[in-house]
Amino acid sequence: MIEMIKVSRTYAPNIKALSDISFSIETGEMFFLIGRSGAGKTTLLKLICNMETPSNGLIEVAGYNINTLRGKNLAHLRQKIGVAYQDFKLLSNRTVAENIAIAMEVSYKNPRAIRHRVRDLLEQLQLTDKYDTITSELSRGEQQRVALARSVANSPRLILVDEPTGNLDASTTERVMSLLTRSNKAGATIVIATHDASIYQQGTHRIMELRDGNIHSLTRGGR
Amino acid sequence: MNFWFAVFRQAGRNLRQTWTSQFMTFLTVSLSVLIFAFFYLIYTNMLGAGDRLSDDLRLIVYLEDEPGPQMQQQLRRKIENFDRVKEIRFISQEEAYERFAEQLGEDSDVLADMPKNFLPASIEIVPLKSLRGYNQIKLFSEYLANLPGTEKVQYGQEWVERFYYFTRLLTIVVLLSGTLLILTATFMVAYTIRLTIMGRQDELELLKLVGATNSYIRTPFLIEGILQGFMGSIIGLLALYGLFQWISAHFAGPGLLNVFHFSFFSPVVIFLIILSSICLCSLGSYTSIRKFLRL
Repeated sequence: MIEMIKVSRTYAPNIKALSDISFSIETGEMFFLIGRSGAGKTTLLKLICNMETPSNGLIEVAGYNINTLRGKNLAHLRQKIGVAYQDFKLLSNRTVAENIAIAMEVSYKNPRAIRHRVRDLLEQLQLTDKYDTITSELSRGEQQRVALARSVANSPRLILVDEPTGNLDASTTERVMSLLTRSNKAGATIVIATHDASIYQQGTHRIMELRDGNIHSLTRGGR
Repeated sequence: MNFWFAVFRQAGRNLRQTWTSQFMTFLTVSLSVLIFAFFYLIYTNMLGAGDRLSDDLRLIVYLEDEPGPQMQQQLRRKIENFDRVKEIRFISQEEAYERFAEQLGEDSDVLADMPKNFLPASIEIVPLKSLRGYNQIKLFSEYLANLPGTEKVQYGQEWVERFYYFTRLLTIVVLLSGTLLILTATFMVAYTIRLTIMGRQDELELLKLVGATNSYIRTPFLIEGILQGFMGSIIGLLALYGLFQWISAHFAGPGLLNVFHFSFFSPVVIFLIILSSICLCSLGSYTSIRKFLRL
């Protein structure tokens, strides 16, 4: 699903966020990116969804060189990638339902199906009563769950999640992880950038640790 | 859900969220259309009135002496040498006397002591429609004044001249007001769309990230421009129609308006004004999209 070959990302004036990163993620895999703050996790996710372009190297997603895609082709690929950003990127003047629905509206889903899907996701994330709440009125933890719901709403083939449990208590973390696991079992490839050891240590998924923009280790969890 | 449903809903959201600036733009477009259409309506009616009045245009050539048949032939030839005319009529001194008496009606007895040849003979010339421009008539009258035996040429010079300059002034007013108002409306729409784009950067970025196509993002803004143009021109024209009806109702009777037979725009002109307004507002919208919506 994802192929990265010698990918580097340098910010001006000369700050190396990532250097010579090469790895691949199989379709249907759940993959964890770990590392300290500033290790390059968020940059890596941004490169995968083409929010940023690499300074060097090749990134292929679903067989496409994502940095050469433009216009409709890029838009269609992005519809198949769900992203839960660390800063949530919620529209603060819109309701929870509208924020989640936006991911499905761009691919012209049926309005009734959209409403049904939104209710279903909110129920899974214990946010049923927040359907019509303006997102700026939510707590950080609730906003985080809305961002996550939006990332999985369109049933994407690839889900990128940046710190999904940072503001959540243990039981909500469990709900979030079971939602992601369900999506994974339904065939979605999932990449999770996290600090939270509790969500990756028990599984047998692959874990890649970044340190100062380099791959420090690539192991399998539960060992 | 299809593309058009999605973009119309998005346009509706935009209008709802920025309704104050949208309303101001809508008012500007309406006023622009109203002012321009008002002058244009006067202009077209003046042209129509000028056209109707020119049907009655006659050049009268007063002659020093009554021309004989041979002289009449000669004069006719010379007149037609300048250009073809619709009609040439020779009016003898006696005929002129009878006409004058007829015009005096009951007071015609004042002519009792006057000889029947005290009025000069004349030639009444009705020019063709193609020869009714102000400059052409002026040239023609100068030509006629130089014909042998001509004493004076009359065609209501002063009136024709005034009407000509008035319609010319009106043409300038229409062109100037049209240009200025077109620019105002286009800039206002462009500015409103720009404000909307600036105020919704976060949403536009998010739309891009979740996979909205460029046309999905751009089309709602274009629809806003089209709606502004359509609604603005409709309201502007309705206001003008109301004004027209009011003027017709209050100034009806044997006044100026009756002389001129004022009429409203034809459906074709109304359609063209609405279409122009839509095109201009879309242009304003498109310019802002190209300039400020970087996808």
